[in-house]
Order: sequence, then C-alpha cells, then structure tokens
Amino acid sequence: MFARFLQWLYDTHFSGMMRESLWAEPVVETIHVLTLTLFLGFAVMLDMRLLGVVLKRRRMSEVLAQFNPWLFAGFAVMIVTGVLLFCGDPISFWSTTFFKVKMIMLALAGLNVLIFNATIGRKVAQWDLDPRTPGQAKIAAVVSLVLWVLIIAAGRGIAYALPPP
Amino acid sequence: MIRTLLLGFCQWCNNSFWGHAIRESTWLFPFVEIFHLLALGILGGTILILNLRLMRLAFKTESTAELAAEVKPWMIGSLIVMLVSGFLLFSTEAVKMYGNWGFQLKMLFLLLATIYTFTIHRRITLADDGRFGPALRIFVAVVSLLLWSGVGLGGRALGYITTSVSSVSMLLLR
Repeated sequence: MFARFLQWLYDTHFSGMMRESLWAEPVVETIHVLTLTLFLGFAVMLDMRLLGVVLKRRRMSEVLAQFNPWLFAGFAVMIVTGVLLFCGDPISFWSTTFFKVKMIMLALAGLNVLIFNATIGRKVAQWDLDPRTPGQAKIAAVVSLVLWVLIIAAGRGIAYALPPP
Repeated sequence: MIRTLLLGFCQWCNNSFWGHAIRESTWLFPFVEIFHLLALGILGGTILILNLRLMRLAFKTESTAELAAEVKPWMIGSLIVMLVSGFLLFSTEAVKMYGNWGFQLKMLFLLLATIYTFTIHRRITLADDGRFGPALRIFVAVVSLLLWSGVGLGGRALGYITTSVSSVSMLLLR
C-alpha cells in the first residue's frame, strides 16, 4: 500500500520536475540547510535558557514568546523544503534507514515539545526568573538537543546512503 | 608567487596523515561533517539573534550589548569548531578545492565576514542602544547577513562543482 503511494508520487509530473530540473534540487536544498541555521541556532539558545546557561536574567516566558515565532517559521520552511526534496525521489529516500530514523526522531522531538507545553511549560509563571530551572525543563532541553543532533546526523546520512543518480 | 604558495599548502594538506585518514575511512568524513553542521547551526543562530536585535525584529526589550555579551562565547566557540572541522574536511580534497570557484568564494566571504564581525559589527553591537541611528544599525545587520550568507552559499556551491583533475594540473604547470 505504502509502496504504491511512493510509486504514485514518483510518477507524478511534479516529482519528475524536481528530479530533472538542474536547479530545483540545489536551490531547495540550500534553503533547507540555511533555514536549519535559523532553526537550530534558536533551538540551541532556547534549550540553553531552559538549562539555565544563557539569558538567565530574562524571564523564561518572555524568551519563549520571543523565540517561538522564529522557531515555528524556521520549522515550517524546513518541512516544506524537506517535503519537496522527498517528492523528488520518494522511493530512494524511503529505502534508506537514515530517512526512517530521521522521521521517527522528528516525531519524538515534536512529542517532546507537546509534553513540555502540557506540563512544566504551562507552569512557566512559577519559575520564570528562578536562577535554577526545574529538572523537568532541563530534561526537555537535553532531549531536544540530543534529538536535533541525531536528526541532523541522520539527514546528512541520507545524502550518503542515497543511490547515486 | 601566492598561487604557488597556496597550491603548495593545498598539496601539503592533501598529503597530511589526517587528510589520508579521513579520505580512506568511510565514517570519518560524515562524522566530522556533522560537527561542522552543528557548529553552523549555533554560529548562524547567534549571528541571526544579534542581527535581528539590531534590526529591532526581536528581543527589543533586551539591550543589544547585553545580548552580544551573552552570545559571544557561543559565537566564538562555534566558529572555532567550524574552522577546525572545515579544515579537516578541506584536507581530504585540498588540491581539488584549490581549483573550485565555490570554495574560493567561500573562503573570500569567510575572511570578510570574520573581519567584519569582530570589527565594525562588534563595535555597533557593543555600543549603547541610543548611540547609533536605526538606519545605520539595520545597514550593519544586513551587511553581516549578506556576508555570512555568502559563506553558506559558497559552501553549498562547492559540492555541486566538479573540478576536473586536468584543470588542476594545468594550474600546476602554469
């Protein structure tokens, strides 16, 4: 069933365009990678604030409010460009273990954000300016950092594992 | 003269033991590249944060100088990781890179961006917020973003350029 979906996607006109165009893939990939700097830079800074390492004198709620729009925007661009790259060669992408691992870890990173928002993030007012951030916030930060390192490593791995064009 | 020196340096890197080791190993290159990318994320992030502040697009309540002091160790640390990991990656195909215009562009922008960041950009970010006008601050931020984007685009481009060995040997003969 899923294999048929991949084949259908591969056969679409759009997928063919992504594959055959000389510029589509390099341009989309460049946007994907450059947006990563925006996203990762902000994510690392936010995680470091959660760990109580940087921006210690700023209210946690304020840092979250300032960072979130940029994080969401960067994430959205990466999802769109990522989907476009996938469309270019869905069967090859899916055939690599790195791709599947990356997708699982992306889902886990999303879950981490949801859990944070539903638990300690909701009570942010209670620890807004605490010199030492709560353990749960620190765990969320470490999980996020580890997952993003692995997501990037897996993303890089896909490029090496893909069969040559 | 400079060309001969540069090419000699590239050949020395190419033949170095680390150049050999990373080239021969299946996993060392991707391993080093991951550090390069992670540091890129942090470096890009800190530069963006500062420039967004200069342009008053984010962190408006924070003083620019305070923010600059806060992100400085991260910026310098990630730049060092990028330079070291980049040098290691370069050493695996240094002679090829010598003739690669994407790489040449990247090095030019890297030099300009680094000098700019630690001189003009640093001066403006560390100054009191009222000292320089908003137009100048936006201009300084835009120049910084353009210079660093140049480094990134050159880096992307070099992977797509295939330098033929013959064109490199032509340079050797000249």
